[in-house]
Amino acid sequence: MSDLKQTLKEQIIEQLNLEDLTPADIQDDAPLFGEGLGLDSIDALEFIVLLEQNYGIKIADPSEGKDIFQSVNSLAEYIEKNNKT
Amino acid sequence: MYYIHTISSISNQDSFRNENVYASLREFDAENDVVAPDYKEFIPRNSLRRLSPILRMGLTCAMECKNVIGKDFDSIVVGTALGCLKDTEKFLNTFITSTSDFLSPTAFIQSTHNTIGGQISLGLNNHAYNMTHTQNNLSFEVSLIDAILCINDGKKNVLVGAAEEKIDFLELVQPNLISADYPLASGASFFAISGEQQNSKVAIQAVDTNFRSKNVEKEILAFLTKEKIDLKEIDLLLTSGTELNSTTFSNKNINYMNFTGLHFSTSAFATHIAHDFLNNNDAKFALVVNDLCKGNLGLTLLKKG
Repeated sequence: MSDLKQTLKEQIIEQLNLEDLTPADIQDDAPLFGEGLGLDSIDALEFIVLLEQNYGIKIADPSEGKDIFQSVNSLAEYIEKNNKT
Repeated sequence: MYYIHTISSISNQDSFRNENVYASLREFDAENDVVAPDYKEFIPRNSLRRLSPILRMGLTCAMECKNVIGKDFDSIVVGTALGCLKDTEKFLNTFITSTSDFLSPTAFIQSTHNTIGGQISLGLNNHAYNMTHTQNNLSFEVSLIDAILCINDGKKNVLVGAAEEKIDFLELVQPNLISADYPLASGASFFAISGEQQNSKVAIQAVDTNFRSKNVEKEILAFLTKEKIDLKEIDLLLTSGTELNSTTFSNKNINYMNFTGLHFSTSAFATHIAHDFLNNNDAKFALVVNDLCKGNLGLTLLKKG
């Protein structure tokens, strides 16, 4: 699980062009949107692409996104349960 | 008259916040694309991460113009021939190579030509008239004409400019795109103009475009006659490498392509050079001649006073 979180942080930084951040700057339980990393709705779309491209996961119900994309922890848990690669 | 109140350019030259670009012109530096300021001073970090070079340059120049004049613009007019090439290339590459059902939205959203104007609007929180013109090498001149029409229509504060960015792929297709042989470059130049003189010393007197140009020399002379100016009154002629009879056109002249490098909106930077020449010298008229693409002629006449 910790390897997955580290990989996820690297993928988030690359996909969202967070050029000033390193994986160590992203806390596992910190909110990704709003006050956390300050991500926005376009980033939410980028997350959907990231999950599909890297883990073969398609989010069928967009309303699920709010819970899934809450933090690196929630993302990692969702991927563990649904990974199709 | 359409008075220039401030200009902001990012180019291969040291032009940003330079009061006299004309005096500091140096040979084109092929090792560097542009001399850029620290964009973080102008654009919030969270927005900056998504922006390609053309968007960074355009938005920064626009913000600088707004900061200098201290007023909101009531029109924003942008010229760009090739638009946001980096994002277009990224989007198309992903489109071709991706095996997934979804594509990254950012590159797609930012691949359109009018993204520059859109980002300026968002960055300045400005909901005024916003227009993008794409007319090959005359994109800037057509934008200037639109800006002039806005002023004639009662607008008080117009932002007009042009921006281009180079990508490596352009080097492959350059011979098919254009016959001019200069090193490829990027750049952005934006102008705050209005119909009121205030503290401005230099104005745009007239702009003309001809998309069926056949005889550049005759067309320049006809343009000047229309403006009631004798060719001898032109203190500086800035050309895009135009071949002119040196006996007839004996004016002081420079080929601005030697300083800008090659992109399709170099005449915007030439207009900046012309402005600074008039602003800092005992001179009255400067003419920018843009026939970078044969058959497309743009003429921009600047006047001091």
